[in-house]
Amino acid sequence: MHSPVLDRVLADYRGIAAQLPGDEDSRAERVRAAAHLGELGWPSARDEQWRYTNLRALDRIGAFAPDTTTVPAPALPELPPALPGFERLIYVDGRLVSGRHGSQTADSGSGPKAAEWLPEQRLGWLCDMFATDAARLTIAGEAAIEILFVNSGRASPGAAYPRLQLRCEPGSQVRLIERHLGAAASASLVAMNLTVELAREAVLNHYRLQQYGRDTVFIDTLSAQLGERARYAVRSVAVGAGSARTSARVQLAGRGASLAWGGIAVGRGEQVHDISLKVEHEAPETATEELFRGIADERSRVAFSGHIRIDGRAPGAQTRQSLRGLIEGASAEIDLRPRLEILTDDVRAQHGATTGRLDEDLLFYLLARGIDRPTARSLLKWAFLSDALREIDVPALRAEAERLAAGQLPDVPDLGALA
Amino acid sequence: MSEAQSPANTATPTATAAVGAPLLEVRDLHARVGGQTVLKGVSLTVRAGEVHAIMGPNGSGKSTLAYVLAGRPGYEIISGSASFEGRDLLSLAPEERARAGLFLGFQYPVEIPGVNNAYLLKAALNAARRERGQSELDAFEFLALVRSKTQLMHIDESFLGRGVNEGFSGGEKKRNEVLQMLVLEPKLALLDETDSGLDIDALKVVANGVNSLRSAARAIVLVTHYQRLLDYIVPDFVHVLARGRIARSGDRTLALELERRGYDWIDGQAAA
Repeated sequence: MHSPVLDRVLADYRGIAAQLPGDEDSRAERVRAAAHLGELGWPSARDEQWRYTNLRALDRIGAFAPDTTTVPAPALPELPPALPGFERLIYVDGRLVSGRHGSQTADSGSGPKAAEWLPEQRLGWLCDMFATDAARLTIAGEAAIEILFVNSGRASPGAAYPRLQLRCEPGSQVRLIERHLGAAASASLVAMNLTVELAREAVLNHYRLQQYGRDTVFIDTLSAQLGERARYAVRSVAVGAGSARTSARVQLAGRGASLAWGGIAVGRGEQVHDISLKVEHEAPETATEELFRGIADERSRVAFSGHIRIDGRAPGAQTRQSLRGLIEGASAEIDLRPRLEILTDDVRAQHGATTGRLDEDLLFYLLARGIDRPTARSLLKWAFLSDALREIDVPALRAEAERLAAGQLPDVPDLGALA
Repeated sequence: MSEAQSPANTATPTATAAVGAPLLEVRDLHARVGGQTVLKGVSLTVRAGEVHAIMGPNGSGKSTLAYVLAGRPGYEIISGSASFEGRDLLSLAPEERARAGLFLGFQYPVEIPGVNNAYLLKAALNAARRERGQSELDAFEFLALVRSKTQLMHIDESFLGRGVNEGFSGGEKKRNEVLQMLVLEPKLALLDETDSGLDIDALKVVANGVNSLRSAARAIVLVTHYQRLLDYIVPDFVHVLARGRIARSGDRTLALELERRGYDWIDGQAAA
């Protein structure tokens, strides 16, 4: 179907293609990405997979081409304090400005592979078309890395396309913190691609904090592939951006591979958080544990689609899915869509999805202790998020995540005493 | 561990001594919940320094009375009045009633994981102190206060850092209710079946805590099904609620008579 936005995207691409960096291979990759997107078409609200995304926010993006000039970024926003024990990399507007680049150079063809995106991840092709830089990290042994993706608030409208390709070698133990912060001066797009490969018995604890300003439209596309007995834990806290869409796919390809996904999204004002997660069990004895807690306040919308597919190659698979939504605003919206697709007999699957308003009994208990109503409501929202927050096992980061979550909840005084 | 007090040395002889202005005055109160009229004309006067026990069979309206006085949503006043220190209690929001000095000890305290006990206690205490025109306690003063109360209630201090009632046994929840009451020092404590589900040792601890709050400036209303609690917290007045109104009032011997004759005796009279 014809889409004026897609026309603009492709025109912007043709306009800038010659200036984008890279060798023949990477040019060919860009052309292929543009062809894929052109073929799949721009997402539409009529498509179930994109129904809850704020596609109109993408219509308002003035320019899809990245800024390829070398004008230095204006003063950066205040960056969070460094976390002890973590090596820090800083990307500003999609480009690496500080920290090493891993074991590979930016555009060498070797190293971790780029992903093939599913239709519900099709905006991943957008980043593959325009990205000017990529962090390609191949890690053996132990590592703790923090990557900051900073929106600098530069004056010229433009999109940023950070890209991270991570491979964890067999038996490696990796902690990766990924933070998105900063505000744009006008509506701007950050479209990020992230590919993760976990080799046999690799362990990756991946923490994601998204706190962009409200002018940012954030498109986040993630693909992870797990080998035998690899363990991948994602702890994600989304409180920022005017509109955010996460399209994630995790393939449990090796026997005994496991995923633990814990996510929080808190919306206020007109914010939209839309998360789509597809987990594919492709090998025996694979396991998924999925936990999502979403709060929609005021006029915001929070959506989570959790599709777990267990195919015939995955006997002995186990899944547990717990999705909960809390509606606070009169015109707020929560959409939780659990979906289990089971193609083998030998499976243990538990799932639960509930959406509701604050529990009146809990509220009355706090009021009966003299706590004022706005504070009581905020405390209960805090409590609602707490089981997901406590999964963040880096104490300094957990404190940051709690501060961010509390920042979305007014009237929680003296947070330090809460946790 | 301190020795819990025995019934013999907790008795406080105040039966007819009180002459102060009423703290709580309930007049001909009618209320319904879920479309059903449960209170059908309750009248009750409680003065500072007094301990009242409200007894009655299941479904007689005991808990409803406690909830109506504390302002629980869903309980609709049909007619009648209730005043607290001369203020119209029923026009106040639940949090205003609490800050004015009314405390409800819940029959089924809720669990709030993620909000720790210390936080709740401190927030509640400082809300009450602000209301009384007192300054808020700092962390050190607060901890010193709470420590003395946790010891009295045989509660381990580590519990302060746990979520409110999270994973607590029934008995621990009830002790926590009494701990909150001791920290908040309300003028009027309404304890809704605080004895239910307690073994005898826990019952003594709870009674000990409640007795420590007895003073000439305060009143306590115990809602209970069983006489047993009254061996440890000796009331000045006993009222029997049946079919939505107070069918009979007396001193503590009424509770003993009920124990002997059962609620059918009163219920039969109330129906007549």
